[in-house]
Amino acid sequence: MLVGCGADIDPQWQLDHDRIIAIRATPPRITTGEESEIDALLGRIGEPPIEAEPTTAMVISPTSLAGSLMQRPTGWFVTAPGPMQLAAARTELGLAADEAVPLRIRVTFPASDEGINTGLKIVWLGEHSDNPVLDPVTIDGMVRTSTDAIVVAPAVDVRLSVPFDESYVVNWLTSAGNMHDFDLANAYLRVEPEDPQSGMLGVVVRDPLGGVAWRLWPISAQ
Amino acid sequence: MHQVGRALILVVAAFWISGGAASAQEPSDPPVVSEEDITVRGRVIDNLGRPIRKATVTVEGTFDEATTDKDGFFEILAPLNATLIVSTDRAGVALATVTGPVLDEIVLMLDLATEEITISERAPIVAPGAATLDRDELQRLPGTGGDVVRALTAMPGVVNVQIPLGYSGVVIRGASPQDSKVLVDGFEIPILFHPFGFRAIVATEAVKGLTFIPGGYEVAYGRSSSGIVLIETRPGSDNRTTQAEVSLIDGGLVAQGPLGKKTRYMFALRRSFIDFILPLVIPEEADLSLTTVPQYWDQQLRIDHEINSKWDFTASTIGTTDKFELYTTKDEDAGAKRFFTQTRFMRVTAAAKYHEGPWSAQLALSGMLSDANAEIGLYQKLKVKTRLLTPRVSVARTEEKAFGLKNVVWTAGTEAQIGHSTTDLAIPLERREGEAFPPYDPKDTSSRFKGSVWFPDYAAWTSLAADFDERVRVTTGLRADYFSRPGELVIQPRSELQIKLTPKTLTARFNGGFYSRPPEFQSEFLQKEVKSERSQQLTMGLEYMPVMGVRIQGSTYYTYRTALITHNEDGSLGNSGRGESKGFELLAMATTGTWFGWLGYSYSNSSRIDGPGAKPRLFDYDQPHSLNAALSWKKGHWQLGGRFQLYSGLPSTPVIGAEFDSDRNLHIPTPGDINSDRAPIHHQLDIRIDYTWKWGPAVLLAFLDVQNVYLDRSIVTYFYSYDYTQKSAFESLPLIPSVGLRGVF
Repeated sequence: MLVGCGADIDPQWQLDHDRIIAIRATPPRITTGEESEIDALLGRIGEPPIEAEPTTAMVISPTSLAGSLMQRPTGWFVTAPGPMQLAAARTELGLAADEAVPLRIRVTFPASDEGINTGLKIVWLGEHSDNPVLDPVTIDGMVRTSTDAIVVAPAVDVRLSVPFDESYVVNWLTSAGNMHDFDLANAYLRVEPEDPQSGMLGVVVRDPLGGVAWRLWPISAQ
Repeated sequence: MHQVGRALILVVAAFWISGGAASAQEPSDPPVVSEEDITVRGRVIDNLGRPIRKATVTVEGTFDEATTDKDGFFEILAPLNATLIVSTDRAGVALATVTGPVLDEIVLMLDLATEEITISERAPIVAPGAATLDRDELQRLPGTGGDVVRALTAMPGVVNVQIPLGYSGVVIRGASPQDSKVLVDGFEIPILFHPFGFRAIVATEAVKGLTFIPGGYEVAYGRSSSGIVLIETRPGSDNRTTQAEVSLIDGGLVAQGPLGKKTRYMFALRRSFIDFILPLVIPEEADLSLTTVPQYWDQQLRIDHEINSKWDFTASTIGTTDKFELYTTKDEDAGAKRFFTQTRFMRVTAAAKYHEGPWSAQLALSGMLSDANAEIGLYQKLKVKTRLLTPRVSVARTEEKAFGLKNVVWTAGTEAQIGHSTTDLAIPLERREGEAFPPYDPKDTSSRFKGSVWFPDYAAWTSLAADFDERVRVTTGLRADYFSRPGELVIQPRSELQIKLTPKTLTARFNGGFYSRPPEFQSEFLQKEVKSERSQQLTMGLEYMPVMGVRIQGSTYYTYRTALITHNEDGSLGNSGRGESKGFELLAMATTGTWFGWLGYSYSNSSRIDGPGAKPRLFDYDQPHSLNAALSWKKGHWQLGGRFQLYSGLPSTPVIGAEFDSDRNLHIPTPGDINSDRAPIHHQLDIRIDYTWKWGPAVLLAFLDVQNVYLDRSIVTYFYSYDYTQKSAFESLPLIPSVGLRGVF
């Protein structure tokens, strides 16, 4: 005998859902003296996603680098400490001398229901890398360089594509229609008559080095 | 992934519910029946010419019936050219045409069901709470589809859920599946059921019988801290026959017969039909590519040879292979969405049995090759190749009187299980019993191992049983296991006291003993410091056999478990867990005339403490109540049966929050109290209808087995959304019909 699963669970590609979609550190890896800013993409029920700074943030580990994180009027920032502090942190974490130090940060954001959504993000210290660049993004056969509204035909497969290999994690998200292969670089969207005919379309890409990038478009089926 | 899940469910539902697998041709037009009745005299015999008594002879289309006497003779009024249906409750059916007042001898084709055709007193059970079902009974239990694994769920003491649990498919008396052993012809097999379709790897038609021992078993059985399931393959008969069976799930063939005067063979082969049907019923819109459609093969071969009056030789093989590959996308180049699994094993056994006077002995050598291979996505893999060689010697001597005692039986035995495993794995940290389910992370390969491991284990045992007087019998024994991987010698004394409270009908049994199982489950054998798990079992039972064919038994038990293997804080394994199980079981079985009845109930409570200072918690498969009531009626062409099941839902651990790990792109759940939720009670009614008829030289049997006929909603457990903010229920399919056709040629 086999079992089935209920249909009252939102799929992971559903943008119309209250949650943290991605937390971004810009840049994700920094060397001594460099700064990284932390923000996030938040999904909300009945509203388009927004970019937001954390309400609170704190370093989980290594605790010796707790002072690297600070809040300013414009948001939360991490400043990479000097070589001595990094060396001490490597000792604390049992890392090799040339390894990047993961600074684990817990952040919170307000949820729609007046609750709190909590997330974890690592900022890597001791080497530099940037977030990935989302270019080109091909939607319905056209390269989309802007975030202008997209109109697609209903009840057809709308092809979505970004040029990343399988070492990247790609998530296509929507609040209009059904997303297929949402976690592949090449996905497709189909808006059936019974689906919401308009909403938002988004793509989030994570690279193997902790970098993250996203882009959003209003979308409607006509 | 849920889309895939739904698609699979649609597929499987369609697969189960779709129409018949095979159709039989209608018999040729019946001869014209005379309207005048004559007195017809005939005789019913079996294949060997022995008279069959108490066979029922019915005139087709009427209620007229007669019963054969002790010499197999009967008399009945019937018109010329009428069809007589000859049947016994436990054998097959034969048809005869009335050609005159005296008929030729009617031979019952016993191979359709079982060679045992007379109702006899059931053999004594091997331990309190144990039960034995022969092939006919296995096939008569409604709601099982005639499957061995499903039949086990009717046993009191076995957790009853809609899907098999663990590798063995059974949870016995509050113990993890790996704590029990499934033995086929006396030797362990690595898996009892197919992961896709949940069918037993042994077709019931290839089985002679099944013995279920929930605990308190003798010293000859070891490497288990809970129960034992013994499956005996079917020896070939003296009459050459071939059986074919098809159902919606699979089709198979059983061929058997003599090879000369002293040798008999049985060969069984079965293949799944899923791979033929599945591609036809997968919805077009499903994000699925079945590159290797799920399929399995099962085979059994058994040869029995009588060497001389003292020695018998048996050679047997049992094997299975499962293969399955899919991409949860239509893009077959997307390695991240690939799931591949292949499991196969083959066991070959040669055994010689000796018997002369008071002495009997068995020499056996068994070898097994098994191969498990799984690949999930781009990063996770599990490849395990295992080779096992098991030589075993046992002797027994029986004395009617010795040292002032009666019916003295002394046994002794020894065996080695020499194993070698080659392992290459990169998987997440495995989940142990009682742990919360971790989030799925396709990149998690925190458990890694590549290498080979030897694990030779040795065992020796001896026991002595004797009647102290006409009412009291004592059995005591000692088993010693040496598990060489952890370097551990485990001594396990076991004893039983039997008291006949009335001379023939009521017996009380008190049983106590020590049991252990080696660290061999999942990755346990990779860490040398992990020791065996232990249990101490106490059982008290009453058996009541008021009349022939009827047995009522009750038992109560307490099991204390120590050295349970749990995760340490650093992720390694240790033996810090302990636990206890207690409960009672009731089983009533009756096989009288045309009826077969079964009533089983069990109450159980099983808990664990995972380490020093840890809080007690319920066992993952704790099931307080389980009731099974079945009734089957068999007469003439027809067999009708129903089974009612009622059982508690299983515990589960609620999730009370979650934290989003952005870099891993997953939510990490915060579990509540372990196993503090429970699925609701489930009840269902299953029915089974069998119809047997003769078609040319063949006897055909068609069956319909429907589970949950009144569509009770059955929640197996609960699951959460990817971010743990939504909860839903895994439900079993509301109605599960199974149809099949069997022919004996």
